[in-house]
Amino acid sequence: MNQITKEMRDLARELLASGEVKGLIGWTKGSRWYLTPPLFITRPEEAEQLYFDQFAVNNLTGLLLDYRYGDDKIALFVKGCDSRGIVRLLQDHQIKREKVLVIGVPCMGMSDKKAVTDPRQPVELPLLDKCLECRYPNPVIADRLIGGALVSGEPSEPKGLTASEAAKRGVGSKQADRFAQVKAIEAMSADEKYAFWQAQHEKCLRCYACRNICPACNCRECIFESDKKGWVNKSATPTDNAFFAVTRAMHVAGRCVECGECERVCPMDIPIMALNRKVIQDINELFGESDAGTDLDGKMPLGLFKNDDPEEFM
Amino acid sequence: MQRLKAFPKAKLTAVLEMMIQKATVWVPSMIAGVSRFAPYRPGTDIQMGTNTAISPKEALFPSTEKIYKFSAYGIDGDFEPVDPSVGPQILFGLRSCDMQGILCLDDVFLTRGYVDDFYGSKREATTLITLGCVTPGADCFCASMGVNPAEHDASDAQMYDLGDAYGIIARSVKGEALVKDLMAAGLLSDTDKSQGPTADFVLKVDSEGITEKLQQMFDHPLWDELSRKCLNCGTCAYLCPTCHCFDIAEKKRNQHCGVKIKCWDTCMFSEYALMAGGHNPRPSKKERVRQRFMHKLRYFPERYGKLQCTGCGRCIAKCPVNLEITDVIKLAGEAKSDG
Repeated sequence: MNQITKEMRDLARELLASGEVKGLIGWTKGSRWYLTPPLFITRPEEAEQLYFDQFAVNNLTGLLLDYRYGDDKIALFVKGCDSRGIVRLLQDHQIKREKVLVIGVPCMGMSDKKAVTDPRQPVELPLLDKCLECRYPNPVIADRLIGGALVSGEPSEPKGLTASEAAKRGVGSKQADRFAQVKAIEAMSADEKYAFWQAQHEKCLRCYACRNICPACNCRECIFESDKKGWVNKSATPTDNAFFAVTRAMHVAGRCVECGECERVCPMDIPIMALNRKVIQDINELFGESDAGTDLDGKMPLGLFKNDDPEEFM
Repeated sequence: MQRLKAFPKAKLTAVLEMMIQKATVWVPSMIAGVSRFAPYRPGTDIQMGTNTAISPKEALFPSTEKIYKFSAYGIDGDFEPVDPSVGPQILFGLRSCDMQGILCLDDVFLTRGYVDDFYGSKREATTLITLGCVTPGADCFCASMGVNPAEHDASDAQMYDLGDAYGIIARSVKGEALVKDLMAAGLLSDTDKSQGPTADFVLKVDSEGITEKLQQMFDHPLWDELSRKCLNCGTCAYLCPTCHCFDIAEKKRNQHCGVKIKCWDTCMFSEYALMAGGHNPRPSKKERVRQRFMHKLRYFPERYGKLQCTGCGRCIAKCPVNLEITDVIKLAGEAKSDG
């Protein structure tokens, strides 16, 4: 068992035994070596099931939405990218600060299970692109820290017990490529762009995995759950799917915390982050550079009016 | 005994080119980075090696389908039916799990006193050609669900993987016609080879007695625990070869006319069981997750005498939180019944 896992279990046991929290969300080892899915526990003896390794990729913060109307205090573990989801939920007034206990963990970078060739044979796998592009490997907010993790609200190098491992694995080594896909699509002609997105939107099943894992998708009732307004319906045609994709991207505009979970969970491999990043790039150009979900007290560019805001369309 | 007929794998496109003269041929293909069954055209990127990421049910049960057109001006209303039928089509290279999935869909749409024309007309027009599976994928567990990966006797024709060739035998009148055409085109020859054994499965689960066990587990706390991590997305259901729920909606052109459509729906969605008046009998994740697994492993077997999971493993491969039906079967099997 690795040191982070040990600290995780010790702290979880303590928090649940003392009654400080009613439930705790972490990760556990899955059915195969390359799976470390989410786990929700309520009893101290269940702490033994917790586990952390380079496959604990799930951002757990969206699961807090299940408890937003309850009175129970819930603890959860966050990596750097996940922690921005906590800020998102707090800024959107979805959770109360005193009802969540945030435990920061250091991150060694998450491996890409799509690269698995033999499900029986553990091997070193390449990092997920989102980890290569990572700028916030350390939690931006935390009440407790394990594994030597350090809180940092600014882009930073990986810290804590796994710092050297993270550096060796290449966490953040492709930060400069963060907008590479956006630039590539922008370079296409209008017809090429249309063909590209049409092929992507044709695939969409409308399963809403992207929406349901997203900490920024926190509406009590999503417009796509109701066809009463007559704007949208369940039909999965390229046009309706494009309408969903663009609506979703615009609705998380300025609020997307770039955890990349939407794209990771898409069963059809639609490059959802390309759309999110395009919006982020535009916001950066229009309102100055900012990173959503990194500063709890900061104002979001689209949630703030300034007299010198650009008004190109007026 | 008659010898097995076969064609070399190198002649696959020739075989498909011949077949598309008479029918639309759905083949496992790579489309925009995702493998799925799609109508074959010259140049199609064919993927015979592993099963498709998307189940072939969309050939018989499309995700969105028009039901009828309507118009209403005051008290004058008019309906215009939409013909749901398709021309002759072949589903080529189905794995046993997906063939079994079609048998489940047959039960739902064609039996118990009502034939769904949208499904039935397509099913009638379809010839099913199965392909023996010798290398199960990482998430496959069909053998645990009583499905034989090597062959399936419900198809119209069965193909066998002979290494550098595909063996083929006819199992029905439709299948015989097809094999006859291939013979006439000189594409088949006799072979002494036979398909090798199917490799061992990574995933295995003992599903014996699961239906009876679940009959005593409706109020079991297991559902609470299992559902905690579920996102209630529709990935599992939409990739599943047997999930068959649909919703009826309308697309209005204006306030007077439009089209009624049926489109895939899933018990995972919060609004799925929502009733007029606002009551929801499945208000939380617990009830929805329970419904999904109860339907597959208990209600469906009770009604149709077969499990509604064929072990294709697609839900396991793509579940964002790894809520795996094999784990559910295992945990339910080990749980203390609440009855």
